[in-house]
Amino acid sequence: MSIVGVTEWGGMGALEATIRFAGQRQRLIAHNIANISTPNFIQLDVSTSAFQKQLGEAIDRHRDNAGQGPLDLQPSDEVRPQPNGSFHLVPNTPSGNIAFQDRNNRDLERLMQDQSENVLVFRTAIDLFKSRSDMMRSALAQRI
Amino acid sequence: MYGSLDISVSGLIAQRTRMQVIAANIANINTLEDAQGNYSPYLRRSVMFAPGDPAAKSPQGREMGVQVEQIKIESEALTRRLMPGHPYADKDGYVMVPDINPVVEQLNAMEASRAYEANIAAAEAAKAMMSQALRLLA
Repeated sequence: MSIVGVTEWGGMGALEATIRFAGQRQRLIAHNIANISTPNFIQLDVSTSAFQKQLGEAIDRHRDNAGQGPLDLQPSDEVRPQPNGSFHLVPNTPSGNIAFQDRNNRDLERLMQDQSENVLVFRTAIDLFKSRSDMMRSALAQRI
Repeated sequence: MYGSLDISVSGLIAQRTRMQVIAANIANINTLEDAQGNYSPYLRRSVMFAPGDPAAKSPQGREMGVQVEQIKIESEALTRRLMPGHPYADKDGYVMVPDINPVVEQLNAMEASRAYEANIAAAEAAKAMMSQALRLLA
């Protein structure tokens, strides 16, 4: 392992993308919960499976390239990587729920489920990231 | 992610405002006079929500979140009640009183308090995520 690939080692690039995505999606979920009784409000969400497919393709390309260079995430309809590494989310996934009498298609139970899953994904990615960086730190400490 | 706390706070403020309006409606259910003692039955208020919060601290919070667009005074919310001999009764013995249904107000209050709790849950989740992310620095 060369020092150049140190930030990509052990899938850290993929973990970073997952952490960023979950962080951005939390804002959408909070927005939906805040507007739970706003008339004419349509719930916003991005597709998690589409993001995973996008991430999977980037990981495949990275592997084909023998793990060299940064993870190259291609923009999709909903998730557009920015030059600073963050994502621009274009929520376009319908929740599929019917509109209530005030033309709001809220679904509190699904929102809470989405939120728990999102926090869990974030937490798992953070824990994995931390274990990788701890491993790397102890490896570097051996060299000094 | 920092914007998500702003968004949840805007939801909390909106639901609290709604609760204050409901409390004012219930408190004035029998109010017939204004502060100067003139006959002016209390008119029911209702809050109007709209997406977006101009008071948020972060730009992400301003474009998302929720705000109370206006507190609407329902000018037609009066009902006739038969109270012969009342100082404000008309010639048939009817008085125009506020048309406030305590059951409807209670239901709205319950919905507001549940929505407030949902916003608290969202804020807790955002806080948990932030503290997880900050653990990376430790």
